[in-house]
Amino acid sequence: MTRREFLKLTGASLFLSAAPVSGFTKDLPQGNISVILLQGGMDGLTAVPPIGDPALASLRQEIGLSNPIKVNPFFGLHPKLQHFSKLMARGEASIVHATSFPYTKRSHFEGQNYMQGGGSSPFSTTTGWLGRALDLALLPGRALSLELPLILRGSLNVDNFYPARVNGSSKPEKWLIEQITMAHQAEEAKAFQAVGDKVADQARSNIPRDPVSLAKYAGEQMSTKGGPVASVIRVNQFDTHALQGADEGSHGDRLELLDEVIKAYREGLGDAWDQSIILTLTEFGRTASVNGTGGTDHGYASVGLLAGGLIDNSRVISEWPGLADADLYEERDLYATIDYRSVCAACIERVLGLDHDLISQKVFLTSKLKRTYDYIFS
Amino acid sequence: MTESFRVAQKIGLLFRPEDDIPRDIKDWAMGQLSTESKSIGIKSISNSHQIEHWPEDYLPSLSERAEMLRQLRLYEDRIQKDKTLSKIEMDRLLWINEKKNNIRFLDELRFAHRNVYAEDQVKQRFSLFWSNHFTVGISGTTRGLIGHFMDAAILDNLNGSFSNMLYKVTTHPAMLTYLDNIYSVGENSERAIQCRKNNKCKVGLNDNLGRELLELHTVSPAANYTESDIRATAQVLAGWGTIVDKPQLEKFGLFNHWDAFVSNRAEPGTKLVLGKAIYAGKDGLHNLTEHLASHEHTQRHLARKLCQHFVSDDVQSVDIEYIMKIWQQSGGDLRKIHQAVIERAIASKAPKFQWPAIWLFQVLRISDSTYFLGWGDIHKDLNDRRMSAKKVFQELGQPFWAKRQPNGYSSSKSYWISGEFLERRLRFSEAIYNTAHPQFTPKEMMDRIGVNSATRNLVEGLSGRKRKFIALMCSPELMGVQGG
Repeated sequence: MTRREFLKLTGASLFLSAAPVSGFTKDLPQGNISVILLQGGMDGLTAVPPIGDPALASLRQEIGLSNPIKVNPFFGLHPKLQHFSKLMARGEASIVHATSFPYTKRSHFEGQNYMQGGGSSPFSTTTGWLGRALDLALLPGRALSLELPLILRGSLNVDNFYPARVNGSSKPEKWLIEQITMAHQAEEAKAFQAVGDKVADQARSNIPRDPVSLAKYAGEQMSTKGGPVASVIRVNQFDTHALQGADEGSHGDRLELLDEVIKAYREGLGDAWDQSIILTLTEFGRTASVNGTGGTDHGYASVGLLAGGLIDNSRVISEWPGLADADLYEERDLYATIDYRSVCAACIERVLGLDHDLISQKVFLTSKLKRTYDYIFS
Repeated sequence: MTESFRVAQKIGLLFRPEDDIPRDIKDWAMGQLSTESKSIGIKSISNSHQIEHWPEDYLPSLSERAEMLRQLRLYEDRIQKDKTLSKIEMDRLLWINEKKNNIRFLDELRFAHRNVYAEDQVKQRFSLFWSNHFTVGISGTTRGLIGHFMDAAILDNLNGSFSNMLYKVTTHPAMLTYLDNIYSVGENSERAIQCRKNNKCKVGLNDNLGRELLELHTVSPAANYTESDIRATAQVLAGWGTIVDKPQLEKFGLFNHWDAFVSNRAEPGTKLVLGKAIYAGKDGLHNLTEHLASHEHTQRHLARKLCQHFVSDDVQSVDIEYIMKIWQQSGGDLRKIHQAVIERAIASKAPKFQWPAIWLFQVLRISDSTYFLGWGDIHKDLNDRRMSAKKVFQELGQPFWAKRQPNGYSSSKSYWISGEFLERRLRFSEAIYNTAHPQFTPKEMMDRIGVNSATRNLVEGLSGRKRKFIALMCSPELMGVQGG
């Protein structure tokens, strides 16, 4: 048996042995899910300032917003989140505040690993929560990046897309790729095979590689029949230790980019928007108080933004812990009162039709995850 | 692969056509650590066999770089604010300013040349390992400093103690700028007290560098340090660093850029970091880096990283223990530590996956290809299909001059395996074949390297020299995923 035949066979037998999946509920149509990884730690108190909290203004003198968009008497939105605010007005976006993965040690790299891995602690898994969910549901996913991020690992049916720009090269020959694939083993063989599949697919290669263009393309891909059901995009540079700005400035610029990414997803998804959920994920929030250099340091809880046609009623979902000194985690950070894993689990439940208990055990590797589905999707 | 090539692939950059293949590879590798390091390369691709020293003009000192950065910003600002200029005139003037004052593009090309033409290939590999361990990405003025950092903080200190390198790295303006320490002011410093009194300025502590000094550069989270350790580290660091493109020398007249400790910004009093008392004053940082350098968790953390980068993808604890033992016995002598790494890399028959950038250098060296432009070419419009060094490294996924995270590039093989990453290998192989005029045929290379039968079968089963070239470079053997 050649290696290629072997790969084909294992793919097929996996498909047969794993279907039907236990816990699959068919009363709702399957949706699609997109995760925007906000790298560096989004400042939840800047993105969604709790304007009704009496402690906010004094904590954030230099970086407080002068003109937040009012969501309700207690919460505002950063003025750069224009499109998101319109989605909220239409009942197609929600906010989860004072939320985090249960991780309090303020390291980017442990935090980033944990929010993608979703196991019991940082660096405890080599697969990611979305990858494991897709593996259970037997549905495909795609990352819009050069590497396959941890969050999508764990399924045979995931790949990545980030069009090459190598002068003096052309689209690789399918036959040559096959020969090279056969010479390789394990994950390299699988990845070379993915190159071959992409070449055969006539995938477009002239897409600009900024997050906005990639989000639009991802939306288009997810809206086509047989396309990926999940996508992952990264937006960098939220780590604003110094001079983060307020209405304008570096943190606001990142929020503006995030807003444009959400908007581009919507454009790309077209009619599929009605079956979509987009959620943000960040490794931690930032200190409640501004530091000595006009920025904020690594903190604990942040905010999660959810958008998509699968949301019926816009809400701010929060059990607000307060910003008074005594209410802060270690007297410095916003406390997390909602486990963001539960929010991710609810999105998976809605989109992939998997049962909550199954998601808890097989996706987040714990039996204790609370179900937040009704807060988000009812 | 022959034993010489197998070892050179793991810890070096493989042999160029003019290199003699060493008989005793271990002896060669150890000797490499003492080889003199020179900035060599080519002036022009039209005279690609003339390998020579880079001109002195392109090797500016730190203070020359500071002045270039100052000029770069000054003229940038002046040109952009000039309302009388047309768009075309403005772009032209900005371009001239970049050519004259932005050293970054030359630094990046010089980095590529060093690796492609290096006679000190093993040193270059260790140098890149440490440059990545102590990542400095682009942030503000660091674009003009990264090249200097790699040469003067890393390569020049490769044969000293780890403690010395750590101190040099921590106090280099590139690092102090990249991780925001230049903004950090002790909360009880003279400056902060004055600010509070006048109510005119707001200053305070920034813990970015302090945190990464513990987490990434030394003890790692395994040491179970606390938030109070991080804060104390940031307090020791407060006062270190200055914004290099401002004329600080004229203003203060007291310190040079690499020894910039501003005492009125420093935090007074004794700090406690991981149980060690660090006294106030400039020497405090020295005491701290020495303490961290000799910490067992630092040794373990770094021994593991070295093993993963040089010895085997599946890190063995016996290798880690061995390197730790040498570390302790030698008091953190980097030459001894590197020798220990070489010993374990030779002893381990396990394959070692190579980073995309290392692989590219190795491909160019064994095929004798001229892929990167010469230093005299980069500001010319050559009408050539070649990419700039900047674009090459971006496309490979390893832009060392980029806005990037301080944890550096992973040495874990699985990170680098994806469809897109492997498509880059296919495409770069083709681009090198098409544009860089490899002087060796695939057959000549296979004979010289002594490839295994699987590689030979793959290549010989294909028709056409280009296909053979691509397949050879993307073979498991040349990628370092299967034993030679």
